[in-house]
Amino acid sequence: MSITGLVIHAAPDRAPSVQGALEALDGTEVHKVTDDGKLVVTVDLADDGQAAQVFDSFRTIPGVLSTSLVYTHFEEQDGEGEHVS
Amino acid sequence: MSITRRDFIKTQAALAAATAAGTTLSGTTDAKAAIGDDIRWDKGVCRFCGTGCGVLVGTKQGRVVATQGDPDAPVNKGLNCIKGYFLSKIMYGQDRLTMPLLRKKNGVFDKDGTFEEVSWDEAFDVMAAKWKEALKKKGPTSVGMFGSGQWTVWEGYAAAKFMKAGLRTNNIDPNARHCMASAVGAFMRAFGIDEPMGCYDDLEHADAFVLWGANMAEMHPILWSRLTDTRLTKPGCEVHVLSTFEHRCFELADNDIIFTPQSDLAILNYIANYIIENKAYDQDFVEKHVNFTKTATDIGYGLRPEHPLQKAAKNPNKGKLTKITFDEYAASVADYTLEKASEMSGVPAEKLERLAKLYADPNKKIASYWTMGFNQHTRGVWVNGLLYNVHLLMGKISEPGNSPFSLTGQPSACGTAREVGTFAHRLPADLVVMKEPHRDFAEKTWNLPKGTIPPKPGFHAVLQHRMLKDGKLNAYWVQCTNNMQAAPNMNEEGYPGYRNPDNFITVSDPYPTVTAMAADLILPTAMWMEKEGAYGNAERRTQFWRQQVDAPGEAKSDIWQVVEFSKRFKIEEVWPEELLAQKPEHRGKTVYDVLFANGVVNKFPVQQITDNAGNVYNNSESKDFGFYLQKGIFEEYRLFNSAPNIPKKGHEMADFETYHNSRGLRWPVIGGKETLWRFREGYDPHVKSGESVKFYGKPDGRANIIFAPFEPAAESPDAEYDLWLSTGRVLEHWHSGSMTRRVPELYRAYPDAKLYMHPEDAKARGLKRGQEVKVQTRRGEVATRVETRGRNKVPKGLVYMPWFDAGQLVNKLTLDATDPLSKETDFKKCACRVVRA
Repeated sequence: MSITGLVIHAAPDRAPSVQGALEALDGTEVHKVTDDGKLVVTVDLADDGQAAQVFDSFRTIPGVLSTSLVYTHFEEQDGEGEHVS
Repeated sequence: MSITRRDFIKTQAALAAATAAGTTLSGTTDAKAAIGDDIRWDKGVCRFCGTGCGVLVGTKQGRVVATQGDPDAPVNKGLNCIKGYFLSKIMYGQDRLTMPLLRKKNGVFDKDGTFEEVSWDEAFDVMAAKWKEALKKKGPTSVGMFGSGQWTVWEGYAAAKFMKAGLRTNNIDPNARHCMASAVGAFMRAFGIDEPMGCYDDLEHADAFVLWGANMAEMHPILWSRLTDTRLTKPGCEVHVLSTFEHRCFELADNDIIFTPQSDLAILNYIANYIIENKAYDQDFVEKHVNFTKTATDIGYGLRPEHPLQKAAKNPNKGKLTKITFDEYAASVADYTLEKASEMSGVPAEKLERLAKLYADPNKKIASYWTMGFNQHTRGVWVNGLLYNVHLLMGKISEPGNSPFSLTGQPSACGTAREVGTFAHRLPADLVVMKEPHRDFAEKTWNLPKGTIPPKPGFHAVLQHRMLKDGKLNAYWVQCTNNMQAAPNMNEEGYPGYRNPDNFITVSDPYPTVTAMAADLILPTAMWMEKEGAYGNAERRTQFWRQQVDAPGEAKSDIWQVVEFSKRFKIEEVWPEELLAQKPEHRGKTVYDVLFANGVVNKFPVQQITDNAGNVYNNSESKDFGFYLQKGIFEEYRLFNSAPNIPKKGHEMADFETYHNSRGLRWPVIGGKETLWRFREGYDPHVKSGESVKFYGKPDGRANIIFAPFEPAAESPDAEYDLWLSTGRVLEHWHSGSMTRRVPELYRAYPDAKLYMHPEDAKARGLKRGQEVKVQTRRGEVATRVETRGRNKVPKGLVYMPWFDAGQLVNKLTLDATDPLSKETDFKKCACRVVRA
């Protein structure tokens, strides 16, 4: 599995439509939108080598100004069912 | 609470992103604190560009499994770019080298043999024999080393000391010659001390930004995101972008300027002319802090002396400065009118005038950024200087927001390549081999006899390849760089040089790069987090990290390799009797004894290395040598930059342990305090009260404004080769791709190089997008595919091709013309043609 935390910077007035576009994508969740147009996003993908292209595709959503990657985790197993607490 | 591991990790990811965005998430607790974590996190520094982002490195069971932007790192404040994001994968390519490989036939070394695994002992036995043979036959100028702005601080220092003091040759040069040498030359000429006066804080302080040949959106994405934030949040902020083709930065440009290659020289002189004609310059600043000079002209193109362009030059390689008056300077730039600059550059007059007005506005704080567009330029030192002229005329320098800033491409181009003296003419802390007092100081500090260090600069990067080809440089060691893919004119210089039967080539690398495969001996290298390290970024920030994991197999760090190899030389084998007679105590010792077991480098015993949480870290070099090698080297290096008797002040650094406990500090560090803006009172402790501004790198405290005219490029399009060829990088790959192409995601995102071409140029040649073509120059040809869309929009008459792809060696095409002053290659301009494959 490949789980990523990102900050996507959108023009503040277009943040709602950017949020909508992101949430329509598989494995992508928007956790928060700040007043100045920053979206806190996670992306959950299979570790199949596609991640860089997915992130780059965010650039094409109208209103997106920049995409910054923050957190990454790669693991061989998929992590499902493994209870840690 | 019961959560899946997947949820847990997702929560971590969201929390980290929220922190970086400067916000918090309601309804989530810190899952890490709540349930503990099986990953050990420690601070590190990114392996790629010169931005110097802090990353947290997550290790589990001896393997780096995760990285995240370090929220406590002042440079990137928790953010990563796409390359930094995949950092955890760079050490785990399937073809990591784990044993030395020697070309052999019938069980012995043979230049025409095939690579076979050998022990380190056998590798160093053969290598030492070849080096000693060269030294015996032709002396110290027949051995050499090519190093790196990716070397850690101590690796570069150890290599430079080994070559300059041990083997008594100045034939050591870093790959930073290909990227930063023009910036260095201009700093020394204008200010007498290397590296930018400002820092990244200017990204928030400036009112306007001007990019001169820097595609920050792709090459320095984190700095670009800081710049973007300022542009979007500060009222009136504007961004001007200059380039020879349209790239991603143009999306944010308020003033977009595409200029004809080489005409940046004319544009900058026009801006100076505009400032003077409109009497906009800061008269008080200019009178108190500036000298006016002009540089020698018609200086050639750094080609071989027999090249017609070199023969035609009136003052080949001359950099002499002559003092002139302000009026003479004004008269020199007066030729560069708006009309003339517009005509030469092809830029509409109103765009140039808008740019000039911006610089001339006393109320606008301006940060100017540049990278390879300025530096890889046959007039690179000049063009760097012409931009300083503009900032100096306006007094817009050395204060928050007013910042001419040379960005760097490698993680330690500054900290290592420039600061510890790995250039063919340099010694640590800006000292140079040509000056006797500097050599004396270095020899005294290193406890060497007077006369050990040769006074003549060694072979620089491009000259090394020429000397290999000519059979004058015979034993050669390349570390931490992929120069067979990087250096210009591979067909005519680099490859014939490596394969010259007179030469023995050693290449140290973690991976079988193009360079390694062209060698005779390959040494497997421990990389990045497999060793304790230190890098210095573009804003003078020195940053340390601990060894996180062990290297695979028999791989060893570059510093281990150099220090261990030095044991193979008896001092009598490398020094003449007159030196030994001065220091008889060195008789019978090895080079290792004299340079590294010298009571200074080996002063610190092996110590347990821990972080604040009590985690224990390995240090492979300590284990092998029996002392804390990195600490000893760094503390000896500080004798050059922080001791009371040093020849050049201004590079002071804190002690070793301080850096392990900080997110880096920007030198000069005095009294534990870093310096953000140099040369200005109140910010720089070297400037005394009442002095206001002092460029103390120069004896009179004044910076040089240096007039330089337009001179044409070495090679321009003509009837036969009708297009400009510019080469460079892409976001997804770092330099030659030896690391990033081994990360599956980055490889897939940009698998192969392609040729960006204007649709009409393609049509005129009967070419379609995606079609296979041959790019040809006078030096060679490369097959690739045409791209008429995509991220770069080139103008008619110019094509752009990235150089990361080992399958499409664009350096078969490039010309080895260099800036005659900095010796840096112009990878941005030569003439080519494009034909159907």
